[in-house]
Amino acid sequence: MSESSNYGHGEEDDDDEEEVADEAGYKTSKDAVLFAIDVSESMLTKPEDSNPKKRDTMLSPTVAALKCAYALMQQRIISNPNDMMGILLFGTEKSKFQAGDAETGRGGLQYPHCYLLTDLDVPAAADVKQLRSLVEDDDEAADLLVASKEEVSMANVLFCANQIFTTKAPNFSSRRLFLVTDNDYPHASSRDARNSAAVRAKDLYDLGVTIELFPISHPDRGYTFDRSKFYNDIVYSATPSDPDAPMPLTVDIKPASSTAKDGISLLQSLLSSVASRSAPRRALVNNLPFEIGPGLKISVKCFILFKRQEPKRTSYIYLPPDSDKPQIAVGSSTLVADDTARSVEKVEVRRAYKFGGETISFTVEELAKIKHFGDPVLRIIGFKPMSMLPIWANLKPLTFCYPSEEEFIGSTRVFSALHQKLLKDKKMALAWYIPRKNATPALAAIIPGAESRSEEGEQQVPPGLWIKPLPFADDIRQAPDINLVTAPDPLTDAMRVIVQQLQLPKAIYDPRKYPNPSLQWFYRILQALALEEDLPEAAEDKTLPRWKQIHKRAGGYVVGWGEVLDEQFREWQRGHEKHIKPTANGAAKRTKAEPASSGGGAGAKKVKAEDGGEGVTDADMRDAYAKDALSKSLVADLKAWLVGKGLKGVGKKAELVDAVTKYFETKMDVD
Amino acid sequence: MASKEATVYIVDCGATMGGKSHDRSRTNLDWALEYIWDRITATVATGRKTAMAGIVALRTNTTKNPLDTEDDYSNITVLREIGQVLMPHVRLLREQLLVSSTEAGDAVSAIVVAMQMIEQTCKKLKYERKIVLVTDARGSIQTDGLEEIVRKLDEDGIELVVLGVDFDDAEYGFKEEGKDGLKAENEAVLKQLCGDCGGTFGTLGQAVEELGIPRVKKTKAVPSYKGVLTLGSPEMFETALSVDVERYPKTMLQAAPSASKFIVRGDSQAVVGESEAGADGEAGDGGWGGLTAVKNAMTYQIVDKEAAGGKRDVDRDELSKGYEYGRTAVHISESDRNVTLFETTPGFDIIGFVDRTLYERYLDTHRGSLMIAQRSNDKASMALSSFIHALYELDSYAVARLVAKENKDPRIVLLAPNIEPDFECLYDIELPFAEDMRSYRFPPLDRVVTVSGKELKVHRNLPSDELKDAMSDYVDSMDLSTFGKDDEGQSAEYMPMEETYAPMLHRLHQVIKHRAVFPSGDPPPPYEILTRYSHPPSELIEQSQPALDRLMEAANVKKVPPKARGKRYGRKEAPKPLSDLDVGALLAHDPKHKRARLDPRNAIPEFKQRVNDASDMDTVKDACKQMKGIIFDMIRHSTGSAKYDAVVEALRVMREEVVDLSAAEDYEIWNEVLRELKTELFAGKLGEGREELWYRVRVNRLGLLQARNEKGKPLEGAVGDEEARKFLLAR
Repeated sequence: MSESSNYGHGEEDDDDEEEVADEAGYKTSKDAVLFAIDVSESMLTKPEDSNPKKRDTMLSPTVAALKCAYALMQQRIISNPNDMMGILLFGTEKSKFQAGDAETGRGGLQYPHCYLLTDLDVPAAADVKQLRSLVEDDDEAADLLVASKEEVSMANVLFCANQIFTTKAPNFSSRRLFLVTDNDYPHASSRDARNSAAVRAKDLYDLGVTIELFPISHPDRGYTFDRSKFYNDIVYSATPSDPDAPMPLTVDIKPASSTAKDGISLLQSLLSSVASRSAPRRALVNNLPFEIGPGLKISVKCFILFKRQEPKRTSYIYLPPDSDKPQIAVGSSTLVADDTARSVEKVEVRRAYKFGGETISFTVEELAKIKHFGDPVLRIIGFKPMSMLPIWANLKPLTFCYPSEEEFIGSTRVFSALHQKLLKDKKMALAWYIPRKNATPALAAIIPGAESRSEEGEQQVPPGLWIKPLPFADDIRQAPDINLVTAPDPLTDAMRVIVQQLQLPKAIYDPRKYPNPSLQWFYRILQALALEEDLPEAAEDKTLPRWKQIHKRAGGYVVGWGEVLDEQFREWQRGHEKHIKPTANGAAKRTKAEPASSGGGAGAKKVKAEDGGEGVTDADMRDAYAKDALSKSLVADLKAWLVGKGLKGVGKKAELVDAVTKYFETKMDVD
Repeated sequence: MASKEATVYIVDCGATMGGKSHDRSRTNLDWALEYIWDRITATVATGRKTAMAGIVALRTNTTKNPLDTEDDYSNITVLREIGQVLMPHVRLLREQLLVSSTEAGDAVSAIVVAMQMIEQTCKKLKYERKIVLVTDARGSIQTDGLEEIVRKLDEDGIELVVLGVDFDDAEYGFKEEGKDGLKAENEAVLKQLCGDCGGTFGTLGQAVEELGIPRVKKTKAVPSYKGVLTLGSPEMFETALSVDVERYPKTMLQAAPSASKFIVRGDSQAVVGESEAGADGEAGDGGWGGLTAVKNAMTYQIVDKEAAGGKRDVDRDELSKGYEYGRTAVHISESDRNVTLFETTPGFDIIGFVDRTLYERYLDTHRGSLMIAQRSNDKASMALSSFIHALYELDSYAVARLVAKENKDPRIVLLAPNIEPDFECLYDIELPFAEDMRSYRFPPLDRVVTVSGKELKVHRNLPSDELKDAMSDYVDSMDLSTFGKDDEGQSAEYMPMEETYAPMLHRLHQVIKHRAVFPSGDPPPPYEILTRYSHPPSELIEQSQPALDRLMEAANVKKVPPKARGKRYGRKEAPKPLSDLDVGALLAHDPKHKRARLDPRNAIPEFKQRVNDASDMDTVKDACKQMKGIIFDMIRHSTGSAKYDAVVEALRVMREEVVDLSAAEDYEIWNEVLRELKTELFAGKLGEGREELWYRVRVNRLGLLQARNEKGKPLEGAVGDEEARKFLLAR
């Protein structure tokens, strides 16, 4: 479950702009999901050809759906702590609605055969426990999961969901009804009943609730779910009602098989269907003008696709003296004057800069003018090859941007042309970037990103451009001075073999394979405490290197490298008459491995390919060096040769000559 | 920690400094002070007690200095002994640094006075000592004893900087024509002096001009990790590789100064006087110029059914720490605090290697760092060098797990080799974890996939070949990699990072420093360099114009026209379910939806349906009126703020529908509802203490609707900007 990461939520701005809080307009960007799970005789029947060894394949569709909801609930508590979730069973013998209505005694009467198992809310530990006991304790399940003899009214189910959303999740930007059923034709004999359901579905649509259908087929009974019989009248196109949400690549969810087809259990396919419906989030910046050149503007939307997830911060908890139910204390802050401690109205507050023991203040208008560097824009200044972007030139995660037709028609095709060009030629654009009104301006590199898909064809990284704010001179730290001892070739050769043994799969870093161990640990502990479970003993940590494999594949070569190092270093010391004590404070200590004299690695040494670039060979250059005629070489040749040697081939000619000279000087020592 | 500094500024205030030379609009002294103030305020801005400065005025009417018993030292006044400079001193100096009526006073004597001051303050301690002299060199200078001064400057390690008004400077390219003989002589003397003691001699014009190039604050490198880089596990196997290394930050965001919150003190008059009197010492805590700081006071509430309003304040002392799990509070007692801690030991462990060419740059997360071998460990340097070269030759990066300190969270970093003639290191950049990725999906950009699964290569959202060609030409023509110029006029990279300066940071420093010296002056315009890169270089654009024109033509981008106005009801096509079932017809016959009254329980859908289906304005108006009634009822019956979200939603839907369906003149339907709401709310007719709801209206931007023309200006007779703004304020 942890792969489907839609961790975190809306309020992501780290920029500490001194925005006055109530000017940043907000709309709750929260998500509410209500599971509606069908409880019928057929939904309660376990598949016939189930494999008793695999418990997952023995579940009835209803229980599989409940397990799926249970997994989703646990996951969302961690990943989307402010989002709501609820579970409504329909077609049950028993009926139950919201707690308040139970008191008036109307609950059961209002929505017969609808059983509100978990009311729509931010889940509590008790909800998780209740759900767990239902899916794990057969007796409890047997008591509740009893199909009603009469058919439940779908219109009523939908209106029940309507009322749950209306009362519990008002003004949510995303409200979704996950409907799990194997019945493609309810009210088969009553057109009126079907029409009422369609009307109630329209109500839900107008309320802004999206219905996601999770249909189930039963291949063992020769039954295939057919949407066209009934559900195409209920389900509306999946375009989100919130125009800010990205248009997802939604495909209708294919009917899941109640039997384990290709070894994939119903539970697994439900889980992956649910994961594919992770809530779309609003854009970080909407319709940002993207100026390709003076007079050519298109619009883009920006999204945050990478953000570091941190463990939750601690909250203040109140422990009532007379009960064991801790409560969360809600904090609120008020402004008070430092001297008199009287509370202060917002309008009184002035902003000033501390300076020389006093304050320097500006009027609001002055400050607004000072901080104004122009309207929000992403403006291209020009282009450079990607190779001019040093690897260290970064400050924070990149922002993803994608075209929008809302302001300028034709944005997508222009964006696409730019995207294709940059990808093809490995170029980047440089831009002046003001993401929001009065935001701090930045110079950014705009980097093309290709679409990446998994082997199953699922999109993993979307195609688009990435905005990377570059460090200014102010943000770049000077490197400390070092006394460099360049490795002689034999030592580099020995190391090269080691590196070649230990390539990661596909030679790439795949973040999906590396969950954050401390974050995982934190939430496992928190969950255990909340649910009063036993604390886990040890943490799983997938970021630890595979020690054994490293030992097996590269161990011998490392020992060999160590010998070459000792030998080369002794030689270097002789050359530099720098007789430091041989074991000076752990110089490049190879712990415990020092005496290993197997010599196994010695054979790995390869003759290093002479590679002096195309123009000038090493011999030519050495010749020129020997004759002191380097300054007669062409700048381009010097550069190419230096780059070929892994040296910096930039700068003025004199510097290049110096660099080549230095190369041969040190080379002589080693040769 | 930056080292301690002691700088003495010597400012020539002689009568000749009052003149205006070379058509400058201000006096030579003011010109010189631009430089002096910039340097002094830059020191003040650091707020460091160890960044000290002293100020000496040369060629003053009076004489006051430690050596003033000798005639050689007359007309030299020490205005400020070496110490931390604070605002009161700045104010005082402003009054003291004025043009005098004398021409007497020896610049070299002033240097000796400054040396004396430095010696008194710094003694033999470690200081960065510096003397800055700004003069027009038109006073007489005695040249005897110069060798002695040079020797002493050298011995004490004092850096001497002499900046002259209209001094000749061949390198900068300035030569004063018709220079006065005495000045020429003095210039030569001072130049010689600077040359002898290894100091700096320059012309003021260049110094003032260079004030526009921000100074980058240097920070001493502090290692973020010191330990071993390992491949394999030294604890488990004898074949593990480990090298002693140090890791330093390579990039670190330099934050712009942030303003603090203050309010005006009630007794501000008294305070201003007090702080001016205190010019000699540290400003007391009343010295915020009549302002007093504002603090955040936290209060905590818990749910208590018996308390009024259902909530009760609790004291901080009554609370303990814990976490939220869903909506459940999980208490963790003091003794169990470590239970959530993920225990780690420091280390830098290589996980494996990846191909440089396959690495996607969008994975870069957070700051860059660099790793070098443990300093003064030659063997480690050689060992690390072999690793760096091997990575470089194999075109590979390493992926490693880093725990910088005990019990810090592990991070995964990418290590990239960097090789320069005298410097080698591994740069590292953090990589994201699985949890840090969000899977939002977006359609492909190079093809369009239809619902039926067909792939289109020609579509209005896809670029034509013509557009692709035009884009390609434009991108190539706007190349910056060789557009810049280096020191020798050779083509070089344009806008290298090292020549870009954080605009907000330096802009704020600039205006704060300016205001400190000129409290009543308008802030100066920003330095040119801060906005230089906000637009493409005009020369390049000029050259690329044909390519851009072709691109614009091929792109054919059109601004989306402002929403067509004037259409009323019933124009919107009703949304249909997947099956195209005519739900509208069903609705029309549905008994529940046919009633004249909106069902309060199902208000939003029914309201939308009614408005969308309306065939006349009366229906719309009636629907809005009913909706208003439902909203007012909700407010009346809301327990505390329980129903406010629902109210806001209902208001939002109503506003959206009015915007969507009616012509500009019908905006008043909404505006009337909103005005009524405000009146009733504040008159308490909807219950006591309902004012908070207005705050919700405001932050949700549910204000008055303003009819506007194409240019975005409010129409005549419609709600104006100021009216709309004021209306949203409470009361």
